[in-house]
Amino acid sequence: MNSLGNANTGSIDERGPMSELGAARGAPRATTPFAAALLAVPGILWMVLFLLGPLLMIVYVSFWTQKTFTIESTLTLKSWIFFFSSQTYLSALLTTLRIWLIVLVATFVVGYPVALYIGLFIRNKTIQTIVLVICVVPFWTSFLIRVLAWRPMLGTEGAVNLLLMKLGVISAPIDVLLFTEFSVIIGMTQIYVVFMVGPIAFMLSRIDHSLIEAARDLGAGTWRIFRTIIFPLSLPGVVTGAIFVSVMVLGEFATSAELSGRKVNMLGNIIVTQVGSLKWAFAAVAGVILTVLMGLVIAGLLRVVNLRKEL
Amino acid sequence: MQNQPVLRTLLMLYTGLFIVFLYGPFVVLTILSFQSGPEGGPQFPIIEWSTYWYRHLFGLTPPSRVAPLPIGRALVLSLSLSFMTMVTSTVLGTMTAQAFRSRFKGSGIVFYLIVLGMMVPGVLVGLGVALVSTQFGIPRNWWGTAFVAHVVYTFPFAFLVMLAIFNRFDRSVEEAAWSLGVSPITTFRKVTFPLIFPGVLSAMLFAFTLSYDEFPRTLFAAGPDLTLPLAIYGTFSVEIHPNVFAFGVLTTLFSFSLLAVYGILMMLSVRRAKQVAIQEEIR
Amino acid sequence: MTAILDLHGISKAYAGKPALRGLSLSVDRGAYVSMLGSSGSGKSTLLRIIAGFERPDAGDIRVDGRSVLGVGAHERGIGFVFQNFALFPHMTVFENVAFGLRHRVRGALRAEQEIRRRVEAMLDMVGLGGLGGRAIGQISGGQKQRVALARTLVTDPAIILLDEPLGALDANLRERMMVELRRIHRQLGITFLHVTGNEQEALAMGDRLTVLDNGAVAQLAEPDAVYNRPASARVARFLNCYNIFEGRIEDGRFRRDGLSLPCPKGAPRRAAEASYCVRFDRITIAEPGSAQPDEAAITARFVASEYDGPTITYFFAPPNGKAVEVEYHLSHHRPEEFAVDREYLLRWPAEDALVYA
Repeated sequence: MNSLGNANTGSIDERGPMSELGAARGAPRATTPFAAALLAVPGILWMVLFLLGPLLMIVYVSFWTQKTFTIESTLTLKSWIFFFSSQTYLSALLTTLRIWLIVLVATFVVGYPVALYIGLFIRNKTIQTIVLVICVVPFWTSFLIRVLAWRPMLGTEGAVNLLLMKLGVISAPIDVLLFTEFSVIIGMTQIYVVFMVGPIAFMLSRIDHSLIEAARDLGAGTWRIFRTIIFPLSLPGVVTGAIFVSVMVLGEFATSAELSGRKVNMLGNIIVTQVGSLKWAFAAVAGVILTVLMGLVIAGLLRVVNLRKEL
Repeated sequence: MQNQPVLRTLLMLYTGLFIVFLYGPFVVLTILSFQSGPEGGPQFPIIEWSTYWYRHLFGLTPPSRVAPLPIGRALVLSLSLSFMTMVTSTVLGTMTAQAFRSRFKGSGIVFYLIVLGMMVPGVLVGLGVALVSTQFGIPRNWWGTAFVAHVVYTFPFAFLVMLAIFNRFDRSVEEAAWSLGVSPITTFRKVTFPLIFPGVLSAMLFAFTLSYDEFPRTLFAAGPDLTLPLAIYGTFSVEIHPNVFAFGVLTTLFSFSLLAVYGILMMLSVRRAKQVAIQEEIR
Repeated sequence: MTAILDLHGISKAYAGKPALRGLSLSVDRGAYVSMLGSSGSGKSTLLRIIAGFERPDAGDIRVDGRSVLGVGAHERGIGFVFQNFALFPHMTVFENVAFGLRHRVRGALRAEQEIRRRVEAMLDMVGLGGLGGRAIGQISGGQKQRVALARTLVTDPAIILLDEPLGALDANLRERMMVELRRIHRQLGITFLHVTGNEQEALAMGDRLTVLDNGAVAQLAEPDAVYNRPASARVARFLNCYNIFEGRIEDGRFRRDGLSLPCPKGAPRRAAEASYCVRFDRITIAEPGSAQPDEAAITARFVASEYDGPTITYFFAPPNGKAVEVEYHLSHHRPEEFAVDREYLLRWPAEDALVYA
């Protein structure tokens, strides 16, 4: 009829709130919500029985009495006291904390520049995805193989030493590379750094480049822009990555055992060895401490950034 | 940030180094897998290039001081366990994701309960399962306790994949089917499922890969049975030989190919689920 | 004649925002009812509630006398044609149309021959004869529209709901489909409820036109009644063919910023707030100063004209307020040349105006 300022012709779908919220909200109601929820019951049951149950059992058993090779359900604090009064086990706790912190920082320092490059400097989305896939793919190969692969790298006759000697950088092989806490840290950093790169790159790629351009137009230097715009906006990714890395590192035992020649003991190693000698109650204590530790770390990290709002 | 060529080049070089760092150990491992045997050890230099250790894996070499990896039985076991896990977790994942298409009371808590399964470290889950089985006199084996722990681990992944698939799924085809008088169950069978099938396949592959490589939970829960990862772990404390490297290469290639198939399937399913929405293209 | 569809007090809100407010409506058997509403008027929501894809927060829905509240969408016997067609992409045209017949809960057909007979008859009726074997990806938008229609018609529903069925089609196709829909409606006698945001479509299609505004029925009448006598200023606005002035009434005249216009008989003598509407084609353009005593007139500057085929629309800018549009039907007027920026007098009989207060 007329073309001046009227958008009434052939207006497309006005589903309003529904189109915004997608499937989760405006779900088709051929069945009642109750009937739909029934479908979730098997999954819920499985998790309650086989996840919650075992986890609660750990807490419960940590208070049981430990006999030589069995446990009895008489409740006691003995195992707890033993843990906290023993040098070995306290040092395992400290080792766990120390390694966690170092690996966390290391994965952050090593991974952030990569995420920066992928998220901010590669504009083509396809290439971005390809590079990310290249970085992520190693994660999907057998974890143990990845741990194992460090052995020929780090030994006195390993690839790193050979290369450095060939290049003339060193004249004798460095033997602190393998079978030390250092090797554990290198190994873990390489294995878990991907978890930092992914989320951070994701957050960085969402930054509107016009923000940066505007800042530049206003005369801000690169470092300033990074400090005030880029880094804060990437923080949710950093926290996400930190949570992933923390959960993995805190629960570790294979890397620490293999790359340190069983010298480095983390809480995970304690659990494994205690279970091996049937000291269940004791292992359970270590398990509870590990869980609490993890809970604290995650809660602490979530405080840094209110993830729900940002994501 | 494009007009920062120095920074850009630096970061690019750094990323290149990073990728070397990521792949380095595996490349070294691959090179060393071609070490000659049986005298060649798991370190440089390469005495002579050979496929000895690959043949050693398959038992095709004359007996030597190096014991063959117990991969025969472990392989069968791993495949079976992974297969069972794959089917179970995909069924559970699809059913639960379907349930989540309507908002029901407590869906938030259920969501976190499920995701907990992938967040809790394997060592804790394994410990818990081992504890429960010991106390209740349940024997630990690959098809009981290990299976159960594997599903706890992979079900959340399958669930999240199916959730993502359903999220992109345009429900109007289902509503159309209902408006024609077709019951919801038949609609699911004849309309929904065929359209989400590539997604279901990819969830299955994902679950399979995760279960196949799973280690910490299995360590505690498998009892006397050895899966492939456990067999590898068994060589850890012992002197290692390049046969483990050869095995690592093969198993990695296997994982890669599974992943490639998974990637293709995911793409296909997202495309199919969106097919309905772009029907209004004229001409 | 019993109504085939009865809605009483349907209310629905999303996250606290009401989409439908106590809406009531009756649709007669065999009628073609079009429903006009802008985005946000709740028209799609209403359709989805009738079909059973959503539950209303309050109210009742009766189909053929029986309440279908709580009855599943697949048991209501109500057909639905989607704006994006929602065809099954993994099936051929034939399979799409046959789907309902094959798999419906009540009265599913088993005999292949019977299915084939019915599907092919329906494909012929919608003008898709011989295309049964095509894949969905191989047909055009207009053809997809017909498949969607055929698929639902073949199941013999009591009512068919059409959710902006012509929205995705280009203008030419839309015109043709409008004719097709009316033909099919006449042939089959099924009740149609056709929802759209396009006022031309709504006026052209229905025996009755329902105007939906802000979640309730603003007017329900024959199309020409709505066109000539919109029930409120808001309905007039939807029709897109009325100039609407906001102001007040004093001493029987409409006043606004220096404008003073006589009101038609029956308008209130005084109102603090009022809307004065005059349809585009009721206005005559004349030289300034030529106003007649029983006419309303305003002076405005000519801005531009737009030629639409059978009509020309002229745009004028009055001293304050938004543009005033005048439409000349070329069967009644000769096209005239007006000088840009020159002042003209726009006049109309006072009785032709509509006043709402």
